[in-house]
Amino acid sequence: MSDAMKSLLFAAVIGVVCSLLLTAASSGLKAFQQENALVDRQRNVLKSVGALEPERKYGTDDIKELFAAAIKDIRVDANGQVLDADAASGLPLFLYTRDGQVQSYIVPVDSRGLWGRIYGYLAIDNDGRTVTGFSVYQHSETPGLGGEIEKPWFQQNFVGKQIADPEGNLTSVGIAKGKVAEVIPPERRNHYVDGISGATLTGRYLSEGLKDILKAYEPVSRRLRDEGHLEIPEIS
Amino acid sequence: MTTATVKLTKSQGYRMVADALWKTNPISKQVLGICSALAVTVQMNTAIVMALALTFVVAFSNLIISMMRNAIPRNIRIIVEVAVIATLVIIADEVLKAFLFNISKQLSVFVGLIITNCIVMGRAETYAMANPPGRSFLDGVANGMGYGSILVGVAFFRELLGSGKIMGFQVVPQFAYDLGYTDMGLMLLAPGAFIVIGLFVWLEHTLLKD
Repeated sequence: MSDAMKSLLFAAVIGVVCSLLLTAASSGLKAFQQENALVDRQRNVLKSVGALEPERKYGTDDIKELFAAAIKDIRVDANGQVLDADAASGLPLFLYTRDGQVQSYIVPVDSRGLWGRIYGYLAIDNDGRTVTGFSVYQHSETPGLGGEIEKPWFQQNFVGKQIADPEGNLTSVGIAKGKVAEVIPPERRNHYVDGISGATLTGRYLSEGLKDILKAYEPVSRRLRDEGHLEIPEIS
Repeated sequence: MTTATVKLTKSQGYRMVADALWKTNPISKQVLGICSALAVTVQMNTAIVMALALTFVVAFSNLIISMMRNAIPRNIRIIVEVAVIATLVIIADEVLKAFLFNISKQLSVFVGLIITNCIVMGRAETYAMANPPGRSFLDGVANGMGYGSILVGVAFFRELLGSGKIMGFQVVPQFAYDLGYTDMGLMLLAPGAFIVIGLFVWLEHTLLKD
């Protein structure tokens, strides 16, 4: 056998063996990873509504229990009407309830980022205007730059911001290019959060993403602004 | 005869570990693997997991490559080495994602980047390709420990000075804060790691002079 053939054969064998090992590892561990990812999403939903104390450690079971007790998983149609959670159409939405009252609603965020999609949750008070929290559970931004979107200092700035102007028109929440206090005129400051230096593009894409998402959920927000409540569907 | 051989390997193994930990330490002496040493040393927890992951990868890549060293065609040896290393790194990453999810999230890309860590590639190319499997495995463990010792050392000072904690537990007492002590924010940033690693390198070079 020639040397070239030997090299090719060796490379092919290595390739097959490595891919078999990787397939085994990936499919063998998938169940654990999916469980982790699910609990992580639930943790972030709870974080976005401020249901978790920052200094306390929550185990997997704590998160599941809290989530089951406080969060309702629903869907809404284009007119802001609540559909059954199993409905095939409509937009997914979470309701944060306490004592049978809807405290806030949580919009899943799926936005463009600089290097990949940014996934997270934006929680809005039941007045349909005030952001009560923001969290990110998956992204591909550069650690230390765009990756700061997952840090508490960045997410904390969303709390209390307004997604609508006093007349009730949607304004969304944007990420400023720099410090809000320095670059945004005073009358619009409550629609912006501080930007991340070195991550202008991440901020711009996330601003655009949040705007598109809030636009899609505007019927729900508008109903809350106008009617002041959202009926809770029966727990099935 | 047998005792002599055992004694020889024992002392050899001891010397290898001692060298990798001290005289030829991958980070402080060879200045390899600095990127991850800067990135994952904000807390002890991440540093320890990263050190274990790297030790696993470098030990087993050395073992596997050394076992195949006589069969690997020379013209594609780098590709084969990278394939072995990449496979091990992805397995390590998958295991972390399944069982240590939170730490794996904090380590983010840096576990994946073990593939490009010069220590792993360097040991495979210079040691495993020329030595038998047992010694190569030991060499991998020794170098992983050398890397890990610096990582954990740097993380100890960064976590202690930067957030007043060790392994996530508060060690700087509240009354110190009440008296006006503040955590050193610089230690949480990459420049803090540069300074601490620089001090380690200086310390080691000074001590080795004698």
